[in-house]
Amino acid sequence: MFERVFKIFSSLKLTVILLALGLVLVFWGTMAQVHLGLFKAQNDFFRSFFIYWSPEWSTWRIPIFPGGYLIGWLLLLNLFTAHFRYYQPGQKKYGIVMIHLGVMLLLLGQLLTDTFSSESILHLRTGETKNYSESSRQYELAIVDTTDPQTDTVVAIPASRLVAGRDLTNPAMPFAVRVERYYSNSSLVEKPAEGYEPIATTAGFGSGIWWRGLPHETDTDKRDMPSGIMDLRGPQGSLGAYLVSAYITRPQTLVYNGHQYQLSLRPQRYYMPFNIQLLEFKHDKYPGTNIPKNFSSRIRLTRPATGEDREVLIYMNNPLRYTGNTYYQASFDPDDKGTVLQVVHNPSWLTPYFSCVLVGIGLIVQFVTHLVWFATKRKTS
Amino acid sequence: MLGSGLLVGCGREKIQVYRVPKPEAPPMEQAEMPADHPDATAASPQLKWQTPAGWTEVAPSEMRVASFKVAGKDGQQADVSVIPLTGTAGGELSNVNRWRNQVGQPPVSEDEMRKLAQPVEVAGQPATLYEQNNESTRILAVLQQRGDLAWFFKMTGDNQLVAQAKPAFVAFLKSVQFSASAPAPEMAAAPNTPQWNAPADWTEAPAGQFLAAKFEIAGGQAAVNISSSSGEGGGVAPNINRWRRQLGLPALEGAALTKTMTTLKTASGQATLAEMSGADARSGQPTSLVGVIVLLPGQAWFYKLMGNEQIVAAQKAAFTKFVSEVKY
Repeated sequence: MFERVFKIFSSLKLTVILLALGLVLVFWGTMAQVHLGLFKAQNDFFRSFFIYWSPEWSTWRIPIFPGGYLIGWLLLLNLFTAHFRYYQPGQKKYGIVMIHLGVMLLLLGQLLTDTFSSESILHLRTGETKNYSESSRQYELAIVDTTDPQTDTVVAIPASRLVAGRDLTNPAMPFAVRVERYYSNSSLVEKPAEGYEPIATTAGFGSGIWWRGLPHETDTDKRDMPSGIMDLRGPQGSLGAYLVSAYITRPQTLVYNGHQYQLSLRPQRYYMPFNIQLLEFKHDKYPGTNIPKNFSSRIRLTRPATGEDREVLIYMNNPLRYTGNTYYQASFDPDDKGTVLQVVHNPSWLTPYFSCVLVGIGLIVQFVTHLVWFATKRKTS
Repeated sequence: MLGSGLLVGCGREKIQVYRVPKPEAPPMEQAEMPADHPDATAASPQLKWQTPAGWTEVAPSEMRVASFKVAGKDGQQADVSVIPLTGTAGGELSNVNRWRNQVGQPPVSEDEMRKLAQPVEVAGQPATLYEQNNESTRILAVLQQRGDLAWFFKMTGDNQLVAQAKPAFVAFLKSVQFSASAPAPEMAAAPNTPQWNAPADWTEAPAGQFLAAKFEIAGGQAAVNISSSSGEGGGVAPNINRWRRQLGLPALEGAALTKTMTTLKTASGQATLAEMSGADARSGQPTSLVGVIVLLPGQAWFYKLMGNEQIVAAQKAAFTKFVSEVKY
């Protein structure tokens, strides 16, 4: 039994089938981006074990094709088992082993990148200083204790935890948050309208507003605007049901047990142990035309803990790499007075380089061993 | 498989607790930020002003961008607020009458309102101040429309104190400077507008907040309203009955309702068309209505041609052609 399974997983046929499936997947997933948008297509096709299909008349999700994770894992398993099946000790095979290891490292590295990397956005107006970047898609419910004059204590609850009916508690919060309602994408209006229902809150901003849920945004350049009603509950009962929404730009304030709190639903923040200030954004054009020549952001990086204080110029293809993050020049404000830096945190960014080097060396070793073997054989014959 | 499940699951779902230094105030030279910019919602409106002597600035609450307390003799008090609202906030007349109502004054007509208007200047632009009072309370209020925002500047308080503080309030208005854009709260934008080709004799009119588009025909004797709603927008039957109510007609059910509906072929599939005539519930005038409901996956579109009976009859063919050719 074990032997049969081992043979199936280590077979070259499986390799060919998986590579063919991968080919189809890449083609299909690329075409699907036209309708689904980049983000959803990536999630549905590549960051999944199966591609699902739902018949129009039901909510069933029927798996119809292997997704990126499944093909990737099977390829990894196939490579791994094939190694044990076909490997014969001897100098002639060292190159093959290195190539296999390199490909395995590439596959694993991609999985690690997918799992541990994060991308966020740092938007700065000229003169502005920030010590955090923001997710372009994910939101969080932030409950910030602002009582201390020096620092704020933040309790950040990821939006994925905001499920209606759920009670959220944390030792750092003196009250529980009961999620009364939550729409991961929503629309708010100030007057009654078709399809909208009145928002029932007992505190803060929210009375006199109507809302409705919306399907997820699939366009790459749009994002969901979630809203929800959070009932804050102390030991004595409700402290108020608040509307929180990505549309509300100012945090709502409340006082409880002598502490001041701010409540907001905001893009997920990634704090950095240093500050970045935008000194100048430059959008150079070729003389006499509107054709862009160069975009650059001159920033000031200050790190109070180490006393570091320096200027950095970030421009196309010249990102700032600092404390494990990479800051790329990504976009800018139409009035040229603000910059948008893409912040990529990818702890395994070096693995593709290692795997390529490993595969490269493996190929050289393999060719050279064969060449030497061939040359020696010819000489002796 | 299990491995990747575990890997994917870790770290992203946890409630995080951390301490951060207090955020710095954003620079005041911030200029307008585009509304569709990803970061636009994070910006608060920036307003600069000179606080008049004797006014105490208080922390702005949810809707206020600026807030002041003014104290007078014998415990007299006044409150000054600056509130931005999206849209036109109901227009000038309804707000003036609302303020009048707050001090027990009868409502005024548009012409009478003009006579009450006092010219002032807000941030270098002309605006109108309305002053209303009774024996105990006085309200000074200014509504200024700036782009998509209606800005309310209001001073409310003891009659005498507010009367005395009026020059200071006017000076305050003059000292105001706008800098950044996005106000709180930022309200929902309309859903994506489909592409359509309106007939040449239709005039596009301001759509208001709840319509995707509005066209006027024959100088406003008839109008085409287009709105949209997620899902099925409440369903076909309730919407047809809603239209019936607008013409003073009783709601119908079952087969009686089905009889009033016909099917319209459109570029995106079949749509439901309903025709009705009655008297406009608001004006009492004889009115006809042709409504079409287009149900798309996750979104419903409502097209309504309503107005003078003859004009609606003459425009029906153009209207159905228009609806059937819309590209979503």
